[in-house]
Amino acid sequence: MKSLEADVCLLVEGTYPFVSGGVSSWVHDIILGHPELRFAVLNVGSHPGAYGEPRFQLPDNVVGLHRVFCQETARPPLDGAARADLREQIRRLRTTVDTRARPSRVLAGLRRMHLDGASDSEGQQSILDDLATNDLALDELLYGRASFDLLTQLSDRAAAQAPFLDLFWHFRAIHVPMLRLLAAPVVPAACYHAIATGYAGLLAAVWSRRSQRPLALTEHGIYAREREMELARADWIREAAETDDGGFGLRTATWAPHVSPLRKIWSGFFRALSRLAYAQAGRIVTLSECNRGKQIADGAPAAKIEIVPNGVDLPDDAPVREAVNDNDAPDEGLIELHPAPLRVGFVGRVVPIKDLITFIRACDLALHSVDLQVRVIGPMDEDAAYATRCRDLVARLGRGAKIAFVGPMPPAAIYGDLDVVVLTSFSEGQPLVILEAYARGVPAIASDVGACREMIEGRDAADRELGPSGFVTRVATPKETAAALVRLASDPTLRRRMGESGRRRVAAYYQRRDMLASYRALYAAMGAGDPSIEVRGVMQQRQRGAGTL
Amino acid sequence: MAGIGWKLQRLIDRGSLAGTIGAYLTGVAVTSAPWLLTTAVLTSLRIVARRSGTDFAIVERFLTLVYAVTVILSAPIHVVVSRYTADRLYDHHLEKIGAPLRRATAMVLVGFALCGVLLVTLLKLPLLLAVVGAPLTAIIGAQWLMLSVGGGMTSPMIVMRAFGIGAPLSLVFAWMLDTTVGLGAAGYLYGFAAGQLATLAILVQGVARAVPGDADESARLAPAFREYRLLALSALAYYVSIWADKIVVYLVLGGTAATFYAAIAAVAWFSVIPAFAWIYVQIETSFYRRFRAFYADIEIGAPLRRLQQGAEEISAEARRILRGAGVVQASASGIAIAAAPFLVHAVGLSPNATPLFRLNAIGAAAQMITLLEVLLLYYFDLRRDALVISAGLLCSTVTLTLLALALGRQPVLGYLLACLATSMFGAVLVRRRLSTLMLDTFQSQPFGVS
Repeated sequence: MKSLEADVCLLVEGTYPFVSGGVSSWVHDIILGHPELRFAVLNVGSHPGAYGEPRFQLPDNVVGLHRVFCQETARPPLDGAARADLREQIRRLRTTVDTRARPSRVLAGLRRMHLDGASDSEGQQSILDDLATNDLALDELLYGRASFDLLTQLSDRAAAQAPFLDLFWHFRAIHVPMLRLLAAPVVPAACYHAIATGYAGLLAAVWSRRSQRPLALTEHGIYAREREMELARADWIREAAETDDGGFGLRTATWAPHVSPLRKIWSGFFRALSRLAYAQAGRIVTLSECNRGKQIADGAPAAKIEIVPNGVDLPDDAPVREAVNDNDAPDEGLIELHPAPLRVGFVGRVVPIKDLITFIRACDLALHSVDLQVRVIGPMDEDAAYATRCRDLVARLGRGAKIAFVGPMPPAAIYGDLDVVVLTSFSEGQPLVILEAYARGVPAIASDVGACREMIEGRDAADRELGPSGFVTRVATPKETAAALVRLASDPTLRRRMGESGRRRVAAYYQRRDMLASYRALYAAMGAGDPSIEVRGVMQQRQRGAGTL
Repeated sequence: MAGIGWKLQRLIDRGSLAGTIGAYLTGVAVTSAPWLLTTAVLTSLRIVARRSGTDFAIVERFLTLVYAVTVILSAPIHVVVSRYTADRLYDHHLEKIGAPLRRATAMVLVGFALCGVLLVTLLKLPLLLAVVGAPLTAIIGAQWLMLSVGGGMTSPMIVMRAFGIGAPLSLVFAWMLDTTVGLGAAGYLYGFAAGQLATLAILVQGVARAVPGDADESARLAPAFREYRLLALSALAYYVSIWADKIVVYLVLGGTAATFYAAIAAVAWFSVIPAFAWIYVQIETSFYRRFRAFYADIEIGAPLRRLQQGAEEISAEARRILRGAGVVQASASGIAIAAAPFLVHAVGLSPNATPLFRLNAIGAAAQMITLLEVLLLYYFDLRRDALVISAGLLCSTVTLTLLALALGRQPVLGYLLACLATSMFGAVLVRRRLSTLMLDTFQSQPFGVS
């Protein structure tokens, strides 16, 4: 890997190249698709050791892989004497900090982020200028009087009834990653491209501000919305509830009939991060009209937003297979239908946001009516506890013979053996899995999240004329997913028609070459690229097969 | 508010004068009975010996040294063992107390016996006195250890009973061995040792009953010495400071002057008993209640406003106790100063001791306030600050006593100024620390610790 200044610095949060999945595959594809550009990748990770070895082989045009961590590795507990030493250090530190000539601009920026609400673009950029000064040391945040004052103001204004101990730790958990990121050395690049808002978006915005280099932002899912969904299920947010005797008790905030103040603070923080990235970005790319609307609602200027859908290559060896229905002679170009059982695939990481539980329950329900052969294809090591829970559910339902966990597979080997792909996610952007399935003539059943509906039913009148390429179900409704499975299993003609619609849809709207052309134009507009650069070997890697799902 | 605290609170809650008096008398018993009774015995022995014409001086000098050495050297052990015991009571691991305590007792007995040997050698005691001198040192040292555990685990009545029985026995045995057997000075030492042995036996029995039988033999006390080293140093410095001026006088003016000086100081220290008892009752009841409420509120998830109110209440309570202790102590000191001639005469000291006694009483008052400040800092685990105050008291006592002697003044003036200065510094420090209680409580939490 050469240590050259990059044309484009891609900033990702927790994904490429250490985690497999849709966004990582997309990033890999963008790099491979622009062999004339030099890329640096900045990966924002949670803490050292959180991820293993890279899941993708870095292309030759990646000139630097950099990592920043939100947290450091946990240290062993302190004994009483060490705490006394710490207390003394804190006191010495306060003496220094409390007498500083000028108050911290970063702290002022944080105060405005939390307490001043959504301000205009200039206001956001002023906050970014404050944050870019990086004049708040981590110790100052943890132990300084001014940061404690901010915490008490936050409590008074936004969480007066919240458990203060919890608020204290949440306050640290929110801001320590920020300070660690702000302190990270800038990766020099002609332009910055954040592949989400959040922490990666913040860092990209600050670097862009510091270096006066342009910033583009691509959002697959809407970061702030996804975090809100996680927060809604977070059992680490507790809420104080007054008891009959005037005392206090704590419950998890998921129990509460209203949104807890701590959840609001987290949610507000993530939205504030998004606003900062939106304000600094010269171009904002989203995958679908649906997401565009959400971004505007979250403060993104409409004029900056451009829709560039994901894309896949249409395979040259289009699947032409025999129909099962004896009466239907196979027409040329028609998709082969496999005789029963229906081969169902869940393709993706086995993590809670994919709601595999709903998928398993749906298969169980459908198996009462039709025969299925179900495969869960994807890594199971990201959330081992959840994967175990899913396996246990299959065992408890007695479906071990019908539902198999097969682990990760190369994309090319997946769809040939599937009749339908199912996604039951709580959140998605524009799932590549669906496009990959379409390219192979496999219809999809997906929950109504992200761009799934427009991918299945069509995004405009011309698109809708192609016909539906699967079924859209409500989130977390196993019955609806099961009904869709039963229909597809019972109606091979419908299955074939939907598969064909999907393939036509990809050909019309979701071609990889179109997506790459859009980004090539975007990068050129941002001043990135030197046409004289040739990176050997890149073209040989253009197949996304370097990674596995 | 551990066991004794609830009892005191119940007595106070009765709302009657008898209940209140009962609470404060209990405070007197718990805080002062051992040294009160021991000092009373020593003073009585001096009076009895003078009447019978026995040369008690050498015994008195030896006993003064034994108490000085055992109090000083026991202080860090006392603090660490009592803290270790309190922690095991708190985390419900009583089985981890017995084995370390047995080993600590054995080590204390051996260690203080060696100290005793050193003392009798330094003082060149006759063989008859030396034979009992070394074991007596070990007995007194072991008593302190038992008190450190017994204070938290046993009823105060056991401590009271031990000293209530041991002290008179010391006196009776001493008198009998002098008058009946005719052992003279040696009889006083043997008699005193026998009484103290009885005290130790009762204490050991009481503690043994409180410690569970199924001891965890793997439990170790050594890590506690590492963890609480600042507390141990603080206690050591404070107790050395109590004796520092006497040691300086001993080194500069010699043994006779030091014995006279120490005797005056010992009597003057009686004037702190009411304030000591008052502080004990206040800290164990109202202060502890507010202290616990504040930390319980944190744990159960109280909002900021409630915590700020709790912190302010603790701060106000601490200020109230400091003021109250000052008033009680000033009253007791005033009475002691007014009654100085009578008191000096009653304990068998020469009338020359009267002005020195008065100055000593004021110094002891300031030293008591300093002790309260150290205790408050212990409560908030501000052990380094506690060490700063204790070490400050020690250093200033040594320096100013030496300075007073160098200027040809009474050494008690140095002691008095040191105590006054340290108590004022301590008051400022406590006030400052309490003003940042919320900040310190939260921000002293280490970050990134699993």
